[in-house]
Amino acid sequence: MRCLWLALWLSATPHPPQQAGSVPLDAAREARVQALGKVLRCPMCQGLSIADSGSSAARAQMDRVRELVGEGKTDEEIRAYFVARYGEWALLEPSAQGFNWLVWLGPPALLLFGALVIARLVRRVPKAPAGRGTPEEAPTADPYLEAVRAELKK
Amino acid sequence: MSRRPLAALACVAAAVALLLFAFAKQFGRDPHEVPFKLKDQPAPDFTLTRLDTGEKVALAQLRGHPLVLNFWASWCGPCQLEHPTLARAAQRYGAEAHFFGVVFEDTPENARNFAGSPDGRFPQLIDPQSRMAVDYGVTGVPETYFIDAQGIIRDKAVGPLLDPQELASRLAALQTQRPGTGASR
Repeated sequence: MRCLWLALWLSATPHPPQQAGSVPLDAAREARVQALGKVLRCPMCQGLSIADSGSSAARAQMDRVRELVGEGKTDEEIRAYFVARYGEWALLEPSAQGFNWLVWLGPPALLLFGALVIARLVRRVPKAPAGRGTPEEAPTADPYLEAVRAELKK
Repeated sequence: MSRRPLAALACVAAAVALLLFAFAKQFGRDPHEVPFKLKDQPAPDFTLTRLDTGEKVALAQLRGHPLVLNFWASWCGPCQLEHPTLARAAQRYGAEAHFFGVVFEDTPENARNFAGSPDGRFPQLIDPQSRMAVDYGVTGVPETYFIDAQGIIRDKAVGPLLDPQELASRLAALQTQRPGTGASR
């Protein structure tokens, strides 16, 4: 009930009147801003990048990215700026180092392992013995099967 | 046992060990929780303008006393809920610590209207483009940072601070960070 009340109350509040966004840079630098925004995770709507999110926090971060690009910072420096404040969590693509190698190498390793298992299983399937008639008629050590076959031949 | 089942067993054991290692490293933490990387780090410098007087306020001039920074916006419901708690705390502990609100992604007019109300009785700072908020690693509002007298960020409250006792204990913990005695000014 308390949650319902809170949800109703929050939905009744007016849409956030955000501050005006910063002015886009020239085409080349703005392309860098957008590319960087695509790899940084929005802290509010966490499945989205800050370039794709319409939240106020994402917009503030995009403004900061634009400002840092305008100051001449490299892409690596800008990523480091966000990692220093939000951790590796801020990167939609984790950097390939330390424990993160598991994320990068795990799926291909699992695929390779699966392929090896399938290859071994395929190799193990016995071929039908040549010149011995149908597999049903192949000699067997099972006395029950032999008895059934004898009955069928009668 | 022949070599083939042993090899298969070793493969399965290695895979299980790897999974357990991954789970042990990541389980126990909320994947939605944004890490607080600035804990025990020097607070990023800022110079902002006071909403009421237009006076400039810099972090450097606040050193020597604990600082409570509350990021808020007038459009944020939980911020409105917690504001009376912060205002009362600012009145009660204002002699021991600085209290400042930082307006996040809001227009000065809206912020002024809200801060001018009886609940808004502690100084508010305007943060153009929310640059300072991003410098501090703010993930949304409300968030409240507790900075010690040496300018080190010691704690952060994510979400509304509704319990005066919680606010008091966080502030008390901040004051114990101060070297020497005489926390009051």
